[in-house]
Amino acid sequence: MSSSQVIEAPDLICQLDSVQGMVNALSAVRWKRYQDAMIELSEHGIVLIVEESGCLQAKVYMQSELFIRYEYNAQGRPRFGVSLGLLVDSLNTFSVPGHPSAIEIQYPGPDMQLLLKSTDSLDACIYAEIRTTIPETISWDYISEPVGITPHSFIVKSSALKEAIDDLEWPGSSIDITLQPSPPSVTFKGEGHGDLQIDFMYYVNTDLLTTFNCDRLVSHRYKYKFLRATITNLPSSVIKENRGSKFTIGRGGMLKVQHLVSVARLSDARPNANSTDQYQTRKIAFVEFFLKPEVDSDDY
Amino acid sequence: MKFKAFLTDSGISLLEKRFLPALDKLGKLCHLYFTRDHFILLHNLLSGDGIQAIAQFRTAVLFDDYRISSQNDDRIAFSVDISLLLRAVRSSAAVWTGDGGSTDSSDHRLQIKLVKKLPANSTQPMPFLSFETKGHRSAVIQDVPISKPLSRSLVLELQTALDAAQSLPATLVQAPDMHKLQGFVDRMRNLGDSLNVTISKYGGIHLQISTTLLTLGAEFQNLLVIGDRAHQAPNDQSLSAQARLESALVKGDAQSVQVSVKHFAKSLHCHLVKPDCTFYGIGDLGSCLTVIFQFFVPGSRQTDKSISFHCRLPVQNSGAD
Repeated sequence: MSSSQVIEAPDLICQLDSVQGMVNALSAVRWKRYQDAMIELSEHGIVLIVEESGCLQAKVYMQSELFIRYEYNAQGRPRFGVSLGLLVDSLNTFSVPGHPSAIEIQYPGPDMQLLLKSTDSLDACIYAEIRTTIPETISWDYISEPVGITPHSFIVKSSALKEAIDDLEWPGSSIDITLQPSPPSVTFKGEGHGDLQIDFMYYVNTDLLTTFNCDRLVSHRYKYKFLRATITNLPSSVIKENRGSKFTIGRGGMLKVQHLVSVARLSDARPNANSTDQYQTRKIAFVEFFLKPEVDSDDY
Repeated sequence: MKFKAFLTDSGISLLEKRFLPALDKLGKLCHLYFTRDHFILLHNLLSGDGIQAIAQFRTAVLFDDYRISSQNDDRIAFSVDISLLLRAVRSSAAVWTGDGGSTDSSDHRLQIKLVKKLPANSTQPMPFLSFETKGHRSAVIQDVPISKPLSRSLVLELQTALDAAQSLPATLVQAPDMHKLQGFVDRMRNLGDSLNVTISKYGGIHLQISTTLLTLGAEFQNLLVIGDRAHQAPNDQSLSAQARLESALVKGDAQSVQVSVKHFAKSLHCHLVKPDCTFYGIGDLGSCLTVIFQFFVPGSRQTDKSISFHCRLPVQNSGAD
């Protein structure tokens, strides 16, 4: 690296035509007030990662196609740390209800800040400079399944999932998720201050459980508070659009929960659903949670 | 010491729908100050800290048959719980209109007067502002407890504070779209406690929160200026908002003060008075941030001089010198 005085192009300058979508996507992984997040930039897009106590990790993927402009100039993949709450609250100040607010995001600024700037009004300009930090290393990374192995998975309507997880608050503590091939069904079972079992039967109600892949019985136990974190801050649009949330149980019981969050402008999302479906699918941010199962044995 | 008057239709609606709800948002107590020609609502003028607000009306705007007499040059002032006053005006107005009062205002009127009464379980008579509503079928009297009328010296102090608060900032800039401003401030208020407000002679208002982790601001440009103005250098437009701010401050074309975000958000509630225009300015030597609300004569673009309302926000410490 040369230390010349030539002003280099920043690693990333990108523009988004509606900030609200980004606020929604990032809010989905905000399960407590103070959370440090790591952001990784690449030519493919922006990934934000948060994790908690080595057991829960969440990633928000915003691919470069979501942006109306995406200029990536870095070598390698720059990473930086930022307070998630501060980032979401700052982005939120750019959002004007009922009005798509376009913003420009730049990294780094002169002092390694993350710079935000509104771009859609000549007479009013909102800007923010957010201090970034050297990122903490992420303690673990989800390794995708080896080729040829189909992991056990199912897709459940997001609203039904939210209801189920809300209901499971009552028994609390730990929740068993069981998939069984015959009859094809998914069971959420909570034991704590009493029992509660919620069954999703694949053939009985295909509206609720839209996809189901399972060839043998699998059952793992997860902490309720982490399971709840995957759904509590989901933007209302996800529940309304009710596309479905995908659960995948991989090796060792690693659970991946994936939601699709629309980041399309409101005006694009409104007109009749069919014609915009295709467009909207391109304007989707992926929000993924990874949960480690609770270990029963004494090597806790 | 005597005071008695009838509230007019427009007076009731001004107080009930606009001014009292706005003052209610600012705080609990308010001074009511009656003179021969004016009725003035004052918030926080004597206590010194917090937002000050002053609403002044010519008596004819609110009252009919206005009678006042006191040994202190016909001036009477007292403090009142603004929410009680609002409740009394609201329910009096409801009785009055519910009774068909507005059809013939000569018979059905809402009278207010200063009275001394012996409250239950008490041997000491207490002062009240009494609201008397006479409808066709009913008459309702509501007594709003008030403080003892202010002494001659306190009235003088109030008048002095009132006179001192009348000075206008040298530059006034018209506020941008209020919904936008309110939305912005509502969302930014979680991010910091202090707000730097800069007013430029070019017609700019710049709001900025700055903490160790974050600088967040909004710049509104091309707004109407009253008073001292200046022309912006043409190449300023190509600069960033922060650079423009710096340049204006360096040239002495802008002034900056730091106020509490909470106070600023509160002052936005004053929009409940439904002004026709709002202006922001900075007091002499950066003493305060002044918000002036302007009212037009209905159906015109002429300032209605019989109503005035403004707020002053205390400065936390002088901003950029």
